[in-house]
Amino acid sequence: MSNKVSCSHCHLEFSKEVMIVEGENYFCCNGCQGVFHLLNEEGLDSFYEKSKNIKLTPPTENFEDSSTFNTKSFYEQFVKVNSDGFSEVSLIIEGIHCSACVWLNEKALHKMDGVIEANINFTNNKATIVWADDVVKLSQIIDMIRSIGYNAFAYDASNQEIHANKERKAYYLKMAVAIFASMNIMWIAVAQYAGYFSGMSGDVKTILNIAEGILATPVLFYSGWIFFRGAYYGIKTKVVNMDLLVATGATLTYVYSIYITMMEHGEAYFDSVSMIITFVLIGKFLEVLSKKNAADTLDIIGKNIPSEVKILKDNTISTCRLDDVKVGDIVVVSSGERVLLDGEITKGSGTFDESNLTGESEPIYKDVGDSVVSGTTSIDADIQFRATKDFKHSTLSNLVTLLESSINKKPKIQQMANRLSEYFSTAILTFAFLTFVVWWMWPHSFETSFMVGISVIVIACPCALALATPVATLVGLGLGASRGILFKEAAQLETMAKIDTLVLDKTGTITVGKPEVIKEHIYKEFDKELLYSLVKSSNHPIAHGISEYLKDDNLDEILLDEFTQIPALGMISTCRGLKLLGGNKKLLEDNDVKVEFESDNSVFYFVIDEEVVAIYELRDKVKDGAKELVNSLKNKGIQTIMLTGDHVNIAKKVALEVGIENYNYNQTPQSKAKFIEALHVENKHVVMVGDGVNDILALAQADIGIVMGSGSDIAVEVGDVVLLDDSLKSLADAFKISRTTFFLIKQNLYISLGYNAITIPLAMAGYVIPLVAAISMSVSSLLVVGNSMRIRYKWKNN
Amino acid sequence: MDSWVIGMMLGVSVFLGAIALVGFLWAVKNGQFDDEQKFLSATKFDGEDELNDAVNQERKKEELKKNYKPE
Repeated sequence: MSNKVSCSHCHLEFSKEVMIVEGENYFCCNGCQGVFHLLNEEGLDSFYEKSKNIKLTPPTENFEDSSTFNTKSFYEQFVKVNSDGFSEVSLIIEGIHCSACVWLNEKALHKMDGVIEANINFTNNKATIVWADDVVKLSQIIDMIRSIGYNAFAYDASNQEIHANKERKAYYLKMAVAIFASMNIMWIAVAQYAGYFSGMSGDVKTILNIAEGILATPVLFYSGWIFFRGAYYGIKTKVVNMDLLVATGATLTYVYSIYITMMEHGEAYFDSVSMIITFVLIGKFLEVLSKKNAADTLDIIGKNIPSEVKILKDNTISTCRLDDVKVGDIVVVSSGERVLLDGEITKGSGTFDESNLTGESEPIYKDVGDSVVSGTTSIDADIQFRATKDFKHSTLSNLVTLLESSINKKPKIQQMANRLSEYFSTAILTFAFLTFVVWWMWPHSFETSFMVGISVIVIACPCALALATPVATLVGLGLGASRGILFKEAAQLETMAKIDTLVLDKTGTITVGKPEVIKEHIYKEFDKELLYSLVKSSNHPIAHGISEYLKDDNLDEILLDEFTQIPALGMISTCRGLKLLGGNKKLLEDNDVKVEFESDNSVFYFVIDEEVVAIYELRDKVKDGAKELVNSLKNKGIQTIMLTGDHVNIAKKVALEVGIENYNYNQTPQSKAKFIEALHVENKHVVMVGDGVNDILALAQADIGIVMGSGSDIAVEVGDVVLLDDSLKSLADAFKISRTTFFLIKQNLYISLGYNAITIPLAMAGYVIPLVAAISMSVSSLLVVGNSMRIRYKWKNN
Repeated sequence: MDSWVIGMMLGVSVFLGAIALVGFLWAVKNGQFDDEQKFLSATKFDGEDELNDAVNQERKKEELKKNYKPE
């Protein structure tokens, strides 16, 4: 392979003959050549050095007209005006491979007149571009991105996403301040406690107190602001929440400490103020961090629907915005394209992949007069069809709307810690108040009574309670991730532990999803290379199954002289003067070949010169461990149900094989979702496991949607848990991890409650000195964190 | 030891720390940590040119701001 050279732009390797030669440089296509020259002219050629000659996608040359980006409707939908009056748009840039690509795009855009800011996020390829609309138009910006070999399309940066990012950033800032101040307060506190035992002069103590007080102020009022806000909303809705406890506790302690500092006797508790706020803030942040962003999911789905279709008007084909297509328009679809509207075929015929809607992997043949459904893909059909519905009312659009509403309607089981904290907070505040009243009644000074009352709140520090859930779930998430089980949101671990019903999709979930040869019948010796070449030429799943089976024999592919694929039947070919037939029984009957063979499985006949030489039986095999999984779940008391788009016979066979008693067949995506909804009505907590586009509605509807990692992109996006290795063992592990984690969450909560049950009576009796309060607070938090770490060991022993 | 020494030392050290904190807060607000990948590889693409570009970009923005008349 010495005559292969790599393209100077994209670095893909091709043989020398096909390359465009230009001095020392070779180019695989005009596009690459163009980009290469452009970068050199613009002085951006250091891109190649920076990208370390990484392989790129060659630039596409046929783009839809960029002037559509300048239309009023586009501006209304996507372009915002920022506070300076400049225009701003959010784009997703396609073709970004490395950080040098980001560099190149930003550089090229910055060089343009009128572009004020171009900021591209490498991780999700999302870009924000700000420009002065009177100097440069958006279409020119898009043209620039395209001319350097990338593509861009707009997306609606929804408020949800912006909001989520803002919230996260606000937490970073608040935490940075809180941690900085707490760390400083801690080393001042060391001096204080040293002085408490060995004695120190009053004015040194006052200085230390003042320093602590100054540091604690931003912690309470800046970092702790979210607690005040939370408490306020809690009171408004008449709920005593954890925020109220933290806010009142911290504020009272703060005020009291200021009083002590001014009176110059007694102990100030500034360190407790900042510690409580910091710890609880960290706990809250962990929760925010692991929240799934529903907005991202919807972006990806939107991205998968092209915005334009080709329509035939006055005998010319023109592009038209999807929303502008009217009922009665003639739409043109070529092979490999997606059908985006519902309609009736007026010209042409061919096969369609309807697996998105039905889950059936078998392609369906359609001719003039048949109806096509939006959301399906043309495999080899070049057709024209008359739209019978506009896009708003099409099947595809309905599916997207349904999906959006299911994602938003997803049931949320309230987390145990949240429920608990309500009671806990009420109890502590009441205890503290009672303690204060009792001490004051039975004559003590106001000051002493107040201090004892506060010590109850301080010692009942909700740190441990606030950390109990997030720390345990984080460890659980890590454990899952190391086994290829990705939980997208921490709270799902707890939800999953409460599951009582498991709904499984058949194809791709219980079964492998691809037919495999289980029996081979050879009737006459033949050259297997003929068969191998024949099945290699088709992309039908059955043919694929046979080529996989033959692959082990190390056969060479030979060139077929003639090859025709007959939809739903098989293929006919000639080679070396032999007439080859490969397909099902119907194909043989059509070609007058007689055969007598009966089987429950899918059967592939191979015929050479009208003589059957071999028969292959294929079946979609059940995955390893399916039976064990169903059995072990049964023992755990989880009801297992199978849903499939296949017909009754296949469903029955698979269900019998793995031991599932409840199964439903002939399911459409909508009926699967309805089925789950019905389970919800019965108050069941449902997990749905699936892999395809036909499962997404059900996945979104279920309490937890689990997706096989090899499933379609959209399904992976919609699911809550992803099993990277597709195995059913991972599914069992996911259940185990969630239950172990939930067990630990409960244990953590018991620990922090038990801790309080001991220390609070002590505090009420007035036995707690400041040092003990501070230490006990840290110890309880450490206990909870340490206990969570136990998950790993617990798991190993299982 | 006079107590003002303690006070001064506390003040100075906390002040120095606060400067670093303010720098960090500025960087977070400025979006420098928004994209961890980009942030990590930023050092690779840093140099005199980049600095000049950044300054020019700022100037361009000011210039445009002055002349910009939104319809």
